[in-house]
Amino acid sequence: MNRALTVARLQFVVWRAVIGWPWGILALSFLINLALFSAMQENEDFEPTTGGLMSIYIVMLIASISAILQDFPFALGLGVSRRSFYLGNVLQFTVQALVYAAVLYLLAGVEEATDGWGANLRFFGLPFLVVENPVLRFLGFAIPFLLLGFIGIAIALVAKRWGANGLLTLSAVVLAGIGGLAVLATWRGWWSAIGDWFADQPGWALLVGWPALVTLVLAAVSYLVIRRATP
Amino acid sequence: MEDGRPIFLQIAELLENSILDGTLAEESQVPSTNELAAFHRINPATAAKGVNKLVDDGTLYKKRGIGMFVSPGARAKLRSRRRDEFARQYVRPLLTEARKLGIEPAELKKMIDTWEEGR
Amino acid sequence: MSAVATVTNLTKRYRGVTALDGVSFALTENRIHGLLGRNGAGKTTLMQILTAQNFATSGEVSVFGEHPYENEQVLSRISFIKESQTYPSSLRVTHVLRAARLVYPNWDEEYAQRLVDVFQLPGGRNVRKLSRGMLSALGIVVGLASRAPLTFFDEPYLGLDAVARQLFYDHLLADYTEHPRTIVLSTHLIDEVSDLIEHVLLIDQGRLLLDIEAEALRGQVVTVSGPVAAVDEFTRTGTELHRASLGGTARATVRGDFGPAAHDRARSLGLGLEPSSLQDIVVRLTTSNNGHAAGAGSATANKEAAR
Repeated sequence: MNRALTVARLQFVVWRAVIGWPWGILALSFLINLALFSAMQENEDFEPTTGGLMSIYIVMLIASISAILQDFPFALGLGVSRRSFYLGNVLQFTVQALVYAAVLYLLAGVEEATDGWGANLRFFGLPFLVVENPVLRFLGFAIPFLLLGFIGIAIALVAKRWGANGLLTLSAVVLAGIGGLAVLATWRGWWSAIGDWFADQPGWALLVGWPALVTLVLAAVSYLVIRRATP
Repeated sequence: MEDGRPIFLQIAELLENSILDGTLAEESQVPSTNELAAFHRINPATAAKGVNKLVDDGTLYKKRGIGMFVSPGARAKLRSRRRDEFARQYVRPLLTEARKLGIEPAELKKMIDTWEEGR
Repeated sequence: MSAVATVTNLTKRYRGVTALDGVSFALTENRIHGLLGRNGAGKTTLMQILTAQNFATSGEVSVFGEHPYENEQVLSRISFIKESQTYPSSLRVTHVLRAARLVYPNWDEEYAQRLVDVFQLPGGRNVRKLSRGMLSALGIVVGLASRAPLTFFDEPYLGLDAVARQLFYDHLLADYTEHPRTIVLSTHLIDEVSDLIEHVLLIDQGRLLLDIEAEALRGQVVTVSGPVAAVDEFTRTGTELHRASLGGTARATVRGDFGPAAHDRARSLGLGLEPSSLQDIVVRLTTSNNGHAAGAGSATANKEAAR
């Protein structure tokens, strides 16, 4: 565990990059949107959602991919075990996700209180997260971070262990799987049932519950894969 | 160090040479194995092996906690041993080669005298 | 003398290519070992398995008495400096050193800084912008300053000029003298390190050809030249590794137990005798061995070249 903490600390050797990139890009995106929406404030009914918030989640995805492709060979070269490397990264991602989610949560609150930064801008508020429960709201920000983090880790690990062919095979399998299910659903006439199922799911389940489950599965599979990975 | 011969023997010989030519006087301290290793750019274990060879044959002796010293009488002993080696290394092949060319021992002695005078 | 690491009957196959073939040896504590062999002989694979960065197909590996795989107790006492080491693109030289300081328990920061000065490393420069030689120097600094009880240097000098290489050898020797530890130096610049190494491990085509003290090996291999009959007579006392002949004269490289008596014998046979350097010995042993497994060897070499 000590070693895992060391790995988490290793990441912050370049803390400026670790913290600077996501928030820098998010801030830039926010300022551009704010300027745009201040300029076209005439229409009072128009309450847009920008999608600019996605940028910080995308940065998380890229960071997790590079953790496997770049940090993993470096850490193993320094005599870190695969387990420590993995735990350290999970630790770092989790703490990061929680802290970032807390900041986003606060910013969303400010956004609400100021009527969208005085410009009717919905930048931090999540459109489909209409729950009043503060915990679920917070998790609505946090869980997608972790989901993207582990998607990145899983993709990069496949690339690391099985190369480009592995990635292509994975894409083919995923596409074929989705396509096959779609064909099956059409053939059997399941679509309305599927639609009902989604409609019946509460918002938190779609944004928190199911992503959390997928995250856990990815985390477990990634651990098994990294145990046999070579730098 | 030169190729093809154990380095510890070469180290021992270098120390012997210094004792023979007086650079290392009797009862004086010999460089430590680490100094020898650094100077000759060799493995310290090899340098130690060379020094230990001289300890074993009595040329050097160990003062606990201080280092290695040249034994009293080491120079004379070395000289007599080197003389024996000289005979084996130089005189014997000289005689072999002379016999091959049909040079009699008496003639060989005369050749040596002539060369000595011409020097 | 206790063994720091032991390898028993180690075999590694990559998709039909045998990189290591039943290798067994032990690394003795506080010795400098020379891991010699041609490119693609299996040296890097061997060190990768010893440091748990790669997996053996079969055979046993034990480091500090335990299996190194996922073993933090063992891994934290190993430093493995390899020519192919990559670094995250955002790191500067100082970041790499800071990371190394966090990870290695015996890290000597003051010594690391001294080495940075010796090798004139630009601390603020991004590692991706370092020249090949500077990258090697960075590896050397990490490898020396980590003071790990078991340190592997895998061809650590790529792109370094003769002066910088000598600096490396001098610092390695000095620091090893002051802080004895087990060192494995994998190299094919054999002439440059032959005086530093105490023990020789020679690998060729995945097989261990030599596992012997360097001093014992010195003088074991000689080249004699002269009349064919006399050469034949002399080579009967050893194993002939190589022969070239011209008319009635021949030159043969022989391995055997050659003391001063052998010199006298050669002289009395009318033969010229020349002792072989470690480099000559390695060249002779690895080329004379080429016949029987050339296929596997060249395939390994191709794979390594492709990386």
